[in-house]
Amino acid sequence: MRPSHILLIIILFFLILDAALYLHATRLQETLRSDHAVQEIAVAGLGLTDLCVATEARYTRHPAVSDTMSPFMDHPGAIEHFPSGSFWAAPADKNIR
Amino acid sequence: MTMLPKGLEKQLNILDFSLSSLWRRKLKNISIMLVFALVIFLLGSFQMLTGALTKSADAVLRNTPEITIQKMSAGRQEAIPLSYEEKLRSIYGIRAIIPRVWGYYFDESSLANFTILAMDTNSMPSGNKLDLTLSYGHFPKLTEPGTAVLGRSVQEILGLGKRRIFSLFRPDLSLKSFKVVGLFSGQTDLMTNDLIVMNLDDARDLFAMSPTMATDLCLYVANPAEIETIAKKIAGLLPDTRVLTKSQIQKTYQVVFSWRSGFASICLLTALVAFVILAWDKASGLSPEEKREIGILKILGWETADILAIRFWESTLISSLAFIIGCTAAYMHVAFFDASLLKPVMVGWSVIHPPFKLLPSVKLADLLLIFSFSVLPYLGATVIPAWRCSIVPPDSVIR
Repeated sequence: MRPSHILLIIILFFLILDAALYLHATRLQETLRSDHAVQEIAVAGLGLTDLCVATEARYTRHPAVSDTMSPFMDHPGAIEHFPSGSFWAAPADKNIR
Repeated sequence: MTMLPKGLEKQLNILDFSLSSLWRRKLKNISIMLVFALVIFLLGSFQMLTGALTKSADAVLRNTPEITIQKMSAGRQEAIPLSYEEKLRSIYGIRAIIPRVWGYYFDESSLANFTILAMDTNSMPSGNKLDLTLSYGHFPKLTEPGTAVLGRSVQEILGLGKRRIFSLFRPDLSLKSFKVVGLFSGQTDLMTNDLIVMNLDDARDLFAMSPTMATDLCLYVANPAEIETIAKKIAGLLPDTRVLTKSQIQKTYQVVFSWRSGFASICLLTALVAFVILAWDKASGLSPEEKREIGILKILGWETADILAIRFWESTLISSLAFIIGCTAAYMHVAFFDASLLKPVMVGWSVIHPPFKLLPSVKLADLLLIFSFSVLPYLGATVIPAWRCSIVPPDSVIR
């Protein structure tokens, strides 16, 4: 077997794998669409503002509604120290206090 | 093979030659490819995960309160007096004002932070449909004091099992008991995993809050086009408050995980740059053996273009395979393994780990960005030195 045939087999393997993942993605999208409909009811009915991803600090649990001082709230000159804070940027809106 | 056009046949032969020469130094080449794939995998996972979260937020947060009013004091949020409602009545166009009491409850034994939320759900939009979000039971009715609906992680962490009664501590450490009357369904985990929803009076009792206070006020307006105008009027009328509009809340999630934000993406980019330097160092310095090989090929009659083609094929194969492996693994990591390598960084010290049921966001722009950051520099780093070597007279190289 020529080396290029082995390469072709490897590429075919990844093509099939990625096609299967694409099918998976389309099916997952359908499930998520029905989940989103239920989530929208929860958001409207409870007035939710944020995703429940990180629950350790209020500014990562509710970044949309926490005040911009909260990462530095512990004492004057305090630095932000929660690990999740490194993943989350502050809201860009300069108008909010 | 005889059916193939001549040019293609030649490229196929060169490809065979490159593959066998790659295989001759398999340890070096496979390890470079794996490290390369790992860097692409990390970058890809990060993009797919944050993209998926941004997309979910975008899809779901369309119905957030139109205006939220918080009272500010010394730069911090504090309880808002219900008397502010009366002042707001003078603004024309407000349809409903709904006071909410909400906050965090730190469970000492499990070190988990729960979100306590209380309001009159009947006056909220879709309030009558809220029971659809539960896997069983109903939302606390005004006539049922001491009842609560739990998010799935809360039930798990409190270790309730089949039991329906649990207690939380008031600030003075006296206990307040609750009866579970409903449990959120798994479908809403992304929003409600850490929630405990109860009646307003119970929440005030639990937080020892005065009955004349609330945490914030949710406002709904008659005409959605007037949200910004009314928000401005409120800010003028109540200068000690922070007025958040729906569009500001939605905008938060457009930037919170973006490329230029977040320390983590800086770290990942640094890893990528480090890899580019490593690849440059490994690939650009041709070993004397490789130089001899090029020299011998030239003496055998190979042209500079053919030698460049070999090097081009070699580096294209390594970097493209690494790209495909990295991106495929990244998708599987986010879709099937809950992004378990990035999740610890993302949730930090949180005790509650909501399951991420997310569709990895695969955007052409992101893939192209990763491709041009990884594959193109590698191609440059390998082809240019080969070209420099193949233009010198062969006899000087093999001597």
